[in-house]
Amino acid sequence: MSTTSSSLEPFFTLVSQSLQTIETNFYKIPGSAVIARYVRSSHRDDPGRTLLEVILIIFAIRTLLQSRTKAETSGKHFIKFSEQEIDDLVEEWVPEPLAQPLSPTDQADLDAVPVISGPTGPKPKLMNGKTVINLASYNFTALSGNAEIKERCVETLRKYGLGSCGPPGFYGTQDVHIQLEQDIADFLGTEGSIVYSQAFSTISSVIPAFCKRGDIIVADRGVNFAIQKGLQISRCTVRWYDHNDMGSLEKVLEAVEKERRKKKLPLTRRFIVTEGIFDHDGAMSDLPKLVELKLKYKYRLILDESVSFGSVGRTGRGLTELYNVPASQVDMLVGSLANGLTSCGGFCAGSHIVVKHQRINGTSFVFSAAMPAMLAVAASEGINILRSTPSILSTLQENVRAVRAILDKVDCISIPSHPASATIHITVRTATPSTPSLAPPTTPMSPHSPLSPRMQASAGAPPFDIDAEERALQEIVEEALAQGVLVTRARRLRGQELNQPRPSIRLAISAALPRRDCEKAASVLKAACVKVLARRR
Amino acid sequence: MPSRPSPMALQSSSPYPSIFKKKSTSTMPTAASYLSAVSEADARARAHGANGSTPGSTPALSLSSSVTSSSEDTVLDESGLEFNDGLSYPRTPPTSEQVFTTVHSEFGHCANEKYRYTSQHRAGTQYKSYPEQDPPYYILLTTYLSYLLVICLGHIRDFFGKRLRPSHYKHLVSQNGYAALNSDFDSFYTRRLKTRIDDCFSHPVTGVPGRTIVMLDRYSPDYNVTMVPTGTRTRGLNVSSYNYLGFAEAKGPCADAVESSVNRYGVSACGSRLEGGTLDLHQQAEALVARFVGQEDALISSMGFATNSTIIPALVSKGCLVISDELNHASIRFGVRLSGANVRMFKHNDMNALEELLREVVSQGQPKTHRPWKKILVIVEGLFSMEGTLANLPIIMDLKKKYKFYLFVDEAHSIGALGPHGRGVADYFGINPRHIDILMGTFTKSFGAAGGYISGNKVLVDRLRVHGHTGPYAEAMSPPVLTQVIASMASIMGISSGLEKDKLNALVLPAKSEEYPGLVPVSALPSWMPVAPTMADGSDGLMRLRRLAFNARYLNRGLRKLGFITYGCDDSPVIPLLLFNPGKMAVFSRMMRTRAVPIVVVVVAYPATPLVTSRVRFCLSAAHTKEDIDTVLIACDEIGDLLDLKQGQGERWPLKEIINRAVELVAMPETD
Repeated sequence: MSTTSSSLEPFFTLVSQSLQTIETNFYKIPGSAVIARYVRSSHRDDPGRTLLEVILIIFAIRTLLQSRTKAETSGKHFIKFSEQEIDDLVEEWVPEPLAQPLSPTDQADLDAVPVISGPTGPKPKLMNGKTVINLASYNFTALSGNAEIKERCVETLRKYGLGSCGPPGFYGTQDVHIQLEQDIADFLGTEGSIVYSQAFSTISSVIPAFCKRGDIIVADRGVNFAIQKGLQISRCTVRWYDHNDMGSLEKVLEAVEKERRKKKLPLTRRFIVTEGIFDHDGAMSDLPKLVELKLKYKYRLILDESVSFGSVGRTGRGLTELYNVPASQVDMLVGSLANGLTSCGGFCAGSHIVVKHQRINGTSFVFSAAMPAMLAVAASEGINILRSTPSILSTLQENVRAVRAILDKVDCISIPSHPASATIHITVRTATPSTPSLAPPTTPMSPHSPLSPRMQASAGAPPFDIDAEERALQEIVEEALAQGVLVTRARRLRGQELNQPRPSIRLAISAALPRRDCEKAASVLKAACVKVLARRR
Repeated sequence: MPSRPSPMALQSSSPYPSIFKKKSTSTMPTAASYLSAVSEADARARAHGANGSTPGSTPALSLSSSVTSSSEDTVLDESGLEFNDGLSYPRTPPTSEQVFTTVHSEFGHCANEKYRYTSQHRAGTQYKSYPEQDPPYYILLTTYLSYLLVICLGHIRDFFGKRLRPSHYKHLVSQNGYAALNSDFDSFYTRRLKTRIDDCFSHPVTGVPGRTIVMLDRYSPDYNVTMVPTGTRTRGLNVSSYNYLGFAEAKGPCADAVESSVNRYGVSACGSRLEGGTLDLHQQAEALVARFVGQEDALISSMGFATNSTIIPALVSKGCLVISDELNHASIRFGVRLSGANVRMFKHNDMNALEELLREVVSQGQPKTHRPWKKILVIVEGLFSMEGTLANLPIIMDLKKKYKFYLFVDEAHSIGALGPHGRGVADYFGINPRHIDILMGTFTKSFGAAGGYISGNKVLVDRLRVHGHTGPYAEAMSPPVLTQVIASMASIMGISSGLEKDKLNALVLPAKSEEYPGLVPVSALPSWMPVAPTMADGSDGLMRLRRLAFNARYLNRGLRKLGFITYGCDDSPVIPLLLFNPGKMAVFSRMMRTRAVPIVVVVVAYPATPLVTSRVRFCLSAAHTKEDIDTVLIACDEIGDLLDLKQGQGERWPLKEIINRAVELVAMPETD
């Protein structure tokens, strides 16, 4: 016994000595006496608390030491394998092929894509040498091939070269971009605007720039694919209202407000996201009502005018001009320079704050090269032309009316598009008279939850046969092409869209065509529809 | 009040002498003397110019007399604007037998065949990027301290600002029932940190972003909140634009081709590819791109960012795994997020980490269910634009064989800029491009155009045409841009007329026939496109490739020999020089901009880089001459001394020696 204690003697002295050093050193730290006094008194008052605190400290140290990125290796689902087993598993694993060959229908679709030889325009030449009347290309304002624009573009080329060779933040902002942004803002009457280099990527960048997790978006069920992607990437709470149904929108806004009050949630950013003229069916939003509702419920409005900018309004300013609503009432007005001005890129117009925010937070603005100077100039010049020649838009509207006058009378098809819309969607009229299209009076079934993006009350199959209708429409397209009219089916990514939009043929009317040609083309299309659809019945 | 210009945004910023300076250089011990030295140098340069020996109009005149074919091309046409800046004209006027067809300010004149190099990985050696050096601790400490200081100052200013000038904070707080669009907390970094150095970003420019760039001068009356243009312009040496091969030109064969295309096609294809927006030009360009990158087929998209963000969702979906380098570009992350696939990241360019991760994910399968993954896609960039590092392709190819993943290489920066044939990172390492499943790249950088491509086998590309978002929804690429792509690619590849039995072949590097078919048959190009002789024999493209390779290697090694810490591979045309302290970024950028010969640089900081490694990034171009690189080196040397930036280890050379022994320096083998 004594031997053990004597052999442990040096150990004990070491311990007591080091304790002593720690103590003296501890008291050397300024303020340590306070801590010591506090610990002593708290231990005296409540010994249980000391224990609790010690446990807390240990816990804190443990948390700190734990690796922050908790890999799956430590998860409960992790299975430990030996190296040999891993090798075997690697050996065993057979990945799916990277890409399955296209299905015969997809392949046929791809092969049927028309290829234009030489410049596009109202009457382009196809690869087979045939000249056709073009009702497929977005050339509403007849700016494609405009000689003035071409001349300005060549001038720009000789001064700026082609590419901008850098993102806007790093010396990619050229004076022509600043000019274009100013032109758009002046044209629409907003404080400012920002130009993106691709129309499709504009809105899917604008939405996540403002809407973050926890924010609320109330969106139309019929919004286009780019908006859907923007909503997906923003990760905020999305509530849906029936396609183009202001009553449904109001109900949803009311419900959201009620829920917020009930749960006493903090005030978050709230947005209404919809389109001016819908890409899916050509329906038009009731902008005055939208503005009224957004002001009443204190929402911000993100309006995608990709189709309507450059196609409606007296000089093509879009829905705001048509309804005489100041563009400043729309918080974020998104449009396409590719469709409306036959250039390239998209824009978002709004207040200075809205624009400035996107210059740092608009992902596809920040991380992509600025658009080529030449295309910016083409867009600026396009705006000038629209401003000075209102006759373009009146010609366009006449052409639209001429085409509608013929097509509206065809009873085997139905047209969900607004009469003023320059994109006209033609869908097959189903035998059952119940649902003519995507149009608002949907099935009078139970009002479905705003949580679901689905348009159909039953989450199952849509009330139309997509494949059969697509086939019939494609036949019409080919029949029309044989008669010298170029039209296209509205191409959709089936299976990736939230809703299955009704298959349609999308016409894009142009002011470049004389009225006679429009009527001729419409008659050809009418004949093709009757021929193909009559055969089907 | 607003009439008082903020001291920060003034042209000559006041650079503080580094407080940590140990070895005080006798020549310029203080900032004041530095500035006076700068102005003296400026005066000297001007006096020199007035003597007529260097900048001025005489060289141009003598030049134009020596050029027969395209004399007006070489004279600067700046519509009445005079630039006596020492950048518009070559320092040594060309001799009578030298004929330059480019404008010196866009594409520098350099006839010295010694200043050429071939960008290629030396066979038999292992690729590893230059070891990343850590700065001394005091640099790290002061970096953190300065962030801390600026953050504290920002909060103090917010605290008082909110109480004393509430109108300035109105848009940051909720008002009449609207939540703030951008809360004060979310925007703190931009408001209180970035705004301080905002004069270094988004500088408006005009003209060609070539060898030089013309900045529209501006100043800020209110500490960078708003910028007011002064109406004057400054031409600066451009080491910022992604103009690797110098195809950003307003004159020359490519611009001529684009002009005829505008006259023929106009500027738009009017619609998406699947909805009537496909032109013959698209098909020709796609075939040419496929040929260029050495793949079976290619697909073109009208925006570089969108190429990734809209195509990746068509490649992978739920049940698939994407393994991504941690420093991959935002567009890749955007695309992967849209795809719904699982994502795992590995440490930048760390091949051991990648293999470990692969072993884990293949053995574990999908989370929770442990079902095997449908497929695994590894996404790396060929050349990382913030680091200058290359993907370690040789090892990745070995791993690919073993672990059966698919490989996606984003060649946004490497295509055209690397490899003896300019075909990117696969060409650089001598790897058959067909062994890589997907090669993606952009036209913005090396080709002076816009947009991007995806290439792979035909089945894959056809599938992406139909199922990618671009096909049905996004506008097709505009004809002039397509023409720029075709013309620039053709001039790198060389064109065979078919008739003349390619005696010109010798000019193009011996092509590995099966991987990169040599000359483009003239039938593959649009028939209306004008073809210049230098384009047809490929000599123009080859010259560009070799000049870029020389410039990149020279600046990279020159900076290291001066003692700077730079990242990346020696052959990379992107060269990040580490600054660390956030304050030095702004000072560096301003000092470069206000030199006698202004140099335009890009500075990058958090969040694009880790917090401590703020950097300046040089992007070189074939358009730069050796003298331009000397100019950059001289500027860096001076500013580097002043800002205490030379913290690198390794052998140092004096500036003079670097400039004199440039060719030797470039030719030296890689050190281990």
